[in-house]
Formats: sequence, C-alpha cells, structure tokens
Amino acid sequence: MKLPTFLACLLLAAAGSLAAAPAKAPPLPSDSVYQLPLKLTDQHGKSWDWRRKRGQPQLVSMFYSSCQYICPLIVESGKAVERALTPAQRARLGVMMISMDPARDTPATLARMARQRHIDDRRWSLASPAADDVRSVAGVLDVRYRQLSDGEFNHTSVLILLDADGRMLARTEKIGSDVDPAFVAKVRAAL
Amino acid sequence: MRLKFAIVLFTVPVAVALAAGGAAWVKLPGGSFRSALKYEDAATTRVAAFELQKRPVTNAEFLAFVQAHPQWRRGKAPPVLAEPRYLQHWAGPVELGAKAQPQQPVVNVSWFAAQAYCQAQDARLPTWSEWEYAAAADETRRDARKDPAWRERILGWYSRPSSGPLPRAGLQAANAYGVQDLHGLVWEWTDDFSSLLVDPESRNQGDPDKSKFCGAGALSMDDRDNYAVLMRVAMLSSLQARDTTANLGFRCARDIRK
Amino acid sequence: MRSTSIQVLCAAAIALLALSGCRGDQADTAADAARAAVTNGTGGSLKGDFGPPQGQPVNAILTSPPNVPPPTGRTKPAKVIVELNVVEKEMPISEGVSYTFWTFGGTVPGSFIRVRQGDTVQFHLRNMPDSKMPHNIDLHGVTGPGGGAASSFTAPGHVTRFTFKALNAGLFVYHCATAPVGMHIANGMYGLILVEPPEGMPPVDREYYVMQGDFYTSGKYREKGHQAFDMQKGIDENPTYVLFNGAEGALTGDNALKANTGENVRLYVGNGGPNLVSSFHVIGEIFDKVWFEGGTRFNENVQTTLIPSGGAAIMDFHLEVPGSYVLVDHSIFRAFNKGALAILKADGPERPDIYSGKEVDAMYIGDQANASNAPVAAAAVAAKAGALTVEDQVKAGQALFAGTCSTCHQANGEGMPGVFPPLAKSDFIAADPKRVASVITHGLQGPVTVNGKDYNSVMPPMAQLTDDEVANISTYVLNSWGNPGGRVTKEEAAAIRKGPGLSTTAAEH
Repeated sequence: MKLPTFLACLLLAAAGSLAAAPAKAPPLPSDSVYQLPLKLTDQHGKSWDWRRKRGQPQLVSMFYSSCQYICPLIVESGKAVERALTPAQRARLGVMMISMDPARDTPATLARMARQRHIDDRRWSLASPAADDVRSVAGVLDVRYRQLSDGEFNHTSVLILLDADGRMLARTEKIGSDVDPAFVAKVRAAL
Repeated sequence: MRLKFAIVLFTVPVAVALAAGGAAWVKLPGGSFRSALKYEDAATTRVAAFELQKRPVTNAEFLAFVQAHPQWRRGKAPPVLAEPRYLQHWAGPVELGAKAQPQQPVVNVSWFAAQAYCQAQDARLPTWSEWEYAAAADETRRDARKDPAWRERILGWYSRPSSGPLPRAGLQAANAYGVQDLHGLVWEWTDDFSSLLVDPESRNQGDPDKSKFCGAGALSMDDRDNYAVLMRVAMLSSLQARDTTANLGFRCARDIRK
Repeated sequence: MRSTSIQVLCAAAIALLALSGCRGDQADTAADAARAAVTNGTGGSLKGDFGPPQGQPVNAILTSPPNVPPPTGRTKPAKVIVELNVVEKEMPISEGVSYTFWTFGGTVPGSFIRVRQGDTVQFHLRNMPDSKMPHNIDLHGVTGPGGGAASSFTAPGHVTRFTFKALNAGLFVYHCATAPVGMHIANGMYGLILVEPPEGMPPVDREYYVMQGDFYTSGKYREKGHQAFDMQKGIDENPTYVLFNGAEGALTGDNALKANTGENVRLYVGNGGPNLVSSFHVIGEIFDKVWFEGGTRFNENVQTTLIPSGGAAIMDFHLEVPGSYVLVDHSIFRAFNKGALAILKADGPERPDIYSGKEVDAMYIGDQANASNAPVAAAAVAAKAGALTVEDQVKAGQALFAGTCSTCHQANGEGMPGVFPPLAKSDFIAADPKRVASVITHGLQGPVTVNGKDYNSVMPPMAQLTDDEVANISTYVLNSWGNPGGRVTKEEAAAIRKGPGLSTTAAEH
C-alpha cells in the first residue's frame, strides 16, 4: 500500500473513531481478528468490545495473573519491545494482555498486577473476557492452554503484533527480556 | 433463477424436517476414569454426568443452521473463523448438492463454526475428557480399551484411505452408552482441542523442555497401546481453530438440565 | 601515459607471478588437506559449513524410485528449495493384495532428494487435503531438533516450511515421525536424501535407488484382498512382507533394473525398516566399493553388506558378464518367502573367459573314476571293430581291476591272509580257469582253500559289471601273477553269467 493512501486510511479511521460513528469507518478486513466479537473487562473495570482497539497497532498476548513461571516473562517481553522503540513509536503502539483466567482475574486483581509490575496504565490494557469466550479468543490468536486441577495453567507463550485493523503481522515465541530482533523490526515497520 | 428458488423452497422444509427429527441426545453417567494421556496434575480424570448427541451433526442439520444464521454461510464467515475450504464440498452456500448427502456427517467445518452451531442448539462442544470417556466403550462394555481386538478394529479405520465417500451418520451399532459413530467415521472437534499440549516431535517423551508449555513439558501417552487415542490427539493437536478438513466433523454436548 | 601503462604492466606481471605462486601453494595445501582427511577425517559438521548460499535459489529435482536425480554439479553452496507432498493412497503390495500406504511423493520409498554438503535447504512439506492423518518429516541429514520433525508437523490440507543447512555429507534416510511412529514408517513413509561430498560422487554409468522395508498385515503372505496394518505384528517384529521398493515385483520382470556389461553401476540402497536389519547381497556380483552405512569411507570387494534399520549404503560394481543379477536380503527366508527380491538385468556379449556357463554334464562313477578309463575305451573300440587282442583285454582289465577288485584282492593279487583269497599264482584258478569269470558274475561264499590256506568269506556277485568288463578283468587275472594265461571273451562271459555258478563242493579240491 502506498504511504499517502495508508495515511489517508489512518486519518479516515481516526476520524471515524473520533466521530463515534463506526458506520463511517471502512469495513473490517476479513482476516482481522476483530471479526470475532469479544467483550473484555479491563483493570479499570470498564467493559468494551476489543474492536475498540482498532485504529492502533497492538501487541497482544494471553496470560493469567497468578502465574509464577512464564507470564511474568511475557510482561517483561512486552516491556522489552517497548524499550526498543523511540518515545514517538511507543506512543503509537497499544498493548493488550488478555487473561485466560477470568474467574480470578477481576478488575481489582488486574489493577494490582499493573501496579506490582510497573505497567504503564495508559497504553497497556489488562483485560479478562467472559468465561465462555476464552477458548474462542485463544483459537483466533492460536494460543494453546490447559487448566490444571489446582487452577494453574499450562499454555504456549507468544507475543503477537496486530496492525491497526487487527490483522496479524508477526508473532514470536521468544519470550524474555532478550527481544526477538526480527519481531521488533516488524513492530517498528508497523508504527 | 426460478429453478434455484424452487430448489431452496424444496430443501428448506426437507432440511428442517430432517434436522428436527435428527438430534437425539444420550445421557452419560460420568465418573472417574483413567485417560490414555498422562496428565501431570491428576492420575484419574473426573467427568461429570452430561448429555451427548447420539451421532455426529449431519449436512442437513448444518444446512438448517446456516439458513437461520447467514453469517455462518460459506463466503460470509470470515477467514479468521473459517479457512477458505469451509464447506467446500457443498454445491452452494445454502445448497448441499450431490457431493454432500443430507445424512452424511458434516465435514469441512472449523471449530468456530462447530461451536456456533452448538451454541445455537443451547449446547456446547464436548470436552476432550468427555469425548474420551464416551469413546472408551464398545457395544457391550463401558471401557473396552484393554481389548486388543477392539483396538485393532479401530486401527482398521486408519488403514482405509479417506478418498472414498463418507458413510451416513448413525449406521454403526451404538456403544454401551447408546452413542454411535465415535470411531470409524470422522474426526470430531472438542471444545478444548487446544489443550492437547503435545509436542509435534512426539519421540522425545519425557524430555524436560519445561519452558515450551509454561511450567510443564508436553503431554505424554500413558497407555501406549491405545493407538486410536494417540492418533486422535495427534490429529487434533495439529489443527488450528479456523482449520477444516474433509474428515473432521463434530457433535454437541450439554450439561444435564436439572 | 606511457609510464602509467608500464606501471600497469609491471603490476600485472607481479600479480601473475604472485598468483602462480599462490596456485602452487594451493596445490600443496590441497594435497595436504587430502592426506589430513585420510588420517583425521573430513572434519564432520564443524567443517561442513561452507558459508551462506550463493547465486540464485535452485529447485531440487526429485525423482521417483528407482531413479536418481543427476549429480548437482555444484561447486559452491546454494539455496535449494524442496517441495515434498504427503499422499495417502491405496496401492497393490502383491498381486491381488492391496494396502493403504502413506507416502512421500506418492511412492514407496518416497522421492529421492539430492543436494550438496553446505547447501541451505528450504523444505516445504505439503499434506494432501484428502489425507486422514497429520504427518511430519525427520531427515537424518538434518542437524537440529527432531531432524525437522518438530518443525514440520502438518495437518491435512496444510503446508509447513523449515530450513536447514546440510553440514554432513552422506546418504541419509528420511521418514515420518508422527505418533505412532512405527505405524507411519511401516505404512511406507520413508525415503533417501543424498548429501554429496563437496567434490561430488565419483562418476558412474548408472545409478539406481532401492529401499528395503518390512510390512505387517493382518492377513497372511499373499492373502488376497485389501489388507490392514497389524500393530501387534509390528511390535513383535514379525513381518508378513519384506520388500524392495514397496511391492512384490516392484523391481522384477518388466520392472527389473537395467544395465549393460562394461558399465559401472551404483546402487543407493536404504533400509526404512521399521524393524529389520538387511544383509544386502547381489547374487553373482561382488561390490567393488561399498560406502558402508552411507558414510565417507568405502570398503572394497564386499559380498554382503549390513544396512541398519533407518540406515543406508552406497555400492559400486562393474558388470562383466550378462545375465540376471538378483538383489536379496540374505536372511534368506525373507528373500524367498516374504518377497525381498529384485533383479538387475545386464545385457551384453557373453564373456566365457570370466564365466563359461555349464561346460560338462557327465556321469560320475565314484570309485571307478580312480582308474584311467582310456584302455577300457580303447578295448571297446577294438571290440567293435572286431580287432580285440589279448593285450587290449589285459590292459582294459587292469584298469578295471584297480578300484573294483584291488580293494580286497590288492593290486598285486595277494589278497588278505585269512580274509580274502589271493589271485596270484592261485591253485584254485589253475584247477579251472573258467572259475574266474564265474566267481565274478555269481560271487562265492562258503569255505574254500586257496594255496593251502582256508578262507570262509562272502564275495558278492559283481552284477554291475558288463559282459565285456567281466571278460577283460578275467583275461587280465588269468595273465597276471603266474596264472595259467588264456582269455575270456565277451560271449563266454555272458554264457557263464547265465550258467549256474560254482557250488561249494566244486570249490574244494
């Protein structure tokens, strides 16, 4: 897509969202993950369809707050990607961490986790779907998980880059503070 | 144009009639049972009492569903929820055609489509444990898994190529619970197929690469003789939720109504 | 202007000299390297990385068995693209017997892949949409987890891709590694990938691709109809069929491998298993060279080579003599009762100097063969001509005596005291010369006294002797060792044979 056209589209999308008239926005691409209707409740207790995030590239992953092992690393990975960006780029990127454990990850728990992990509240959304929707969003993001009898989860760990329209641009399974350089390059290209 | 209209007019009532008469439910008592998979957190699995459809969902039943829910028609369902081969064996988005007999189990459906169908019936997809529990039975015993003859019979299905036409649903003798066609007809989606955390490199069982699945290694097979289960696990673990294959269908389950 | 051109010329000259000097050094280092390789080895994977791929990407040529792709001819590492399909299909395993095979490339064994050491291979695995099962691939030439299996798990109707660098040269097996692995392999999911050494394989006239596998069916060997895989037989390592290239008759009759005498033939032979080790042998040929186990070194002059399950070997041999050469697993019941048999048909002119074929098929008369039969033959000729003399008979009789009579009566006619009576200067014979022919034809038993000594033995009738043999032997005895002389003719011998023989009373005198 040529740069001027892209900017025009972005402007249009931005204008559309500002006007709060979704009918004016161009139709959602068929390969956008937002084709799956998904209601999320975030750390501020606000509920919204994740389609609201359309208009801004997103870094997405799935986690659960009581995880001791890998999930802290997922948060670290998100932060590491941000650190690799300029402040201007950082401002254009949203981060969405979706919980696979909505029973325990209430807004209060999510808010506490944000505080403990020093997460930037303005750009990061920590949110829980409805219990029946966890499998669906995991299916769309291709995250695999299994809940154990003690309430813990076994799951694959992945960071996903979505473009402003919700299409998957990249994914990496390299989790940790050593960022995957190929993934970061794609993030920069999308911003 | 008129012909198409006539066909639709004809198939709608037929499909509705077939669908309405079709979906029979069987009650299963549930209980404790040993999975063929080695779960590290529990030696036995508990399955609560539940209801399962007697046989897989058919083309006719699924046709009725897409007629009532146009967003799930072929061409309408977005690719993130159903890959391009979705219902490719049907003649049209609301037309079965010669390659899709009404009573054959519906195939080429994704997990999202199957789940949407079950939700529309006020039901859900069965869990893997529920499926495994129901499928452990043969015609007379609730747990026939130790019988080598029974295992050989199931393995025999794998030896036949899948290029021939699919038999109709409901032809096999029911198992001890009254459920039909759990083996030898089609692969079936389960609600938590993505919880089968199996290493595609299945030979290094016991290899402690714990970081792959966050805190645990891959699931390994406890009962190595149970190839039928092994192969189902291999099949389901190779799929993504939007995938469809020509051998993969589903049936619905529901909790016991009080 | 002139000074610059002179400078350029000088520079060029110096460069040329330096280069030739370099080349000389290079020649020395190459020879040193070769010597080092012989003693220390080629360095393995550590020395197998020749750097990033150069030039345009190449699409690998894949061939169906028994054919082999041509040599790559490359001298630099390249990026090679391999696209391999997985096809589940029903095919005959024996006449009238069908089986559902799972295949790479639609054949058993799967397509032959040929690359060069140091190549970067981009591998695409495509699972046909009508497959029932997911599949993956483990190539033994891959350095990396699962040999690629972890990165190529492919659901039906999907394609996966992974890339590897071929660090080690050799002939490697590839196979599916999806659980249950034994079943996937037993259904035919194996093939070969050749990673050529950097200098390439030595050139030959023909290359062929053969792969052994064991198959397990619920029915018996050659039981007609569609057969299913039998897992228990697989676990018990009790195959129904052991085959080359996936079917009985895959390489026999019209499908036999072909070559001409005077050619160097190379076989790339793999063993997919899943269970059996192969004792690979070509009846009537010796392997001039065997790169045993598909590695870098070769042995020479080998009759039968072991090919491990999941292993391979390369063998070169030169054909001299025309005919059908049978490839077998020399665990021989597998060859003749389970189908492990293939044929290489060599055409060309006969080479009687190397192999003559059957030359003689004559009678073999056991002990009688000790004597030279020439005088017997001569006597026979003379008798036919009507010109038989006593000398002829004596000579013939002497030849016949040795071996038949001399065993007991000794070559000098002395016999054995107390056991066998003497013939030399025998008073028994002198009393009635006709007794000789009579005893030969009728035998003699009971007490008899010869030259003053008593004997009581059994001499069986020499019924195997013909009339002229009896006549010749009798004439010889009569004319030897001081016996009275005379002759016995064939007719007389015949008459004596018909007669009553001697009575024991007549033996006494």
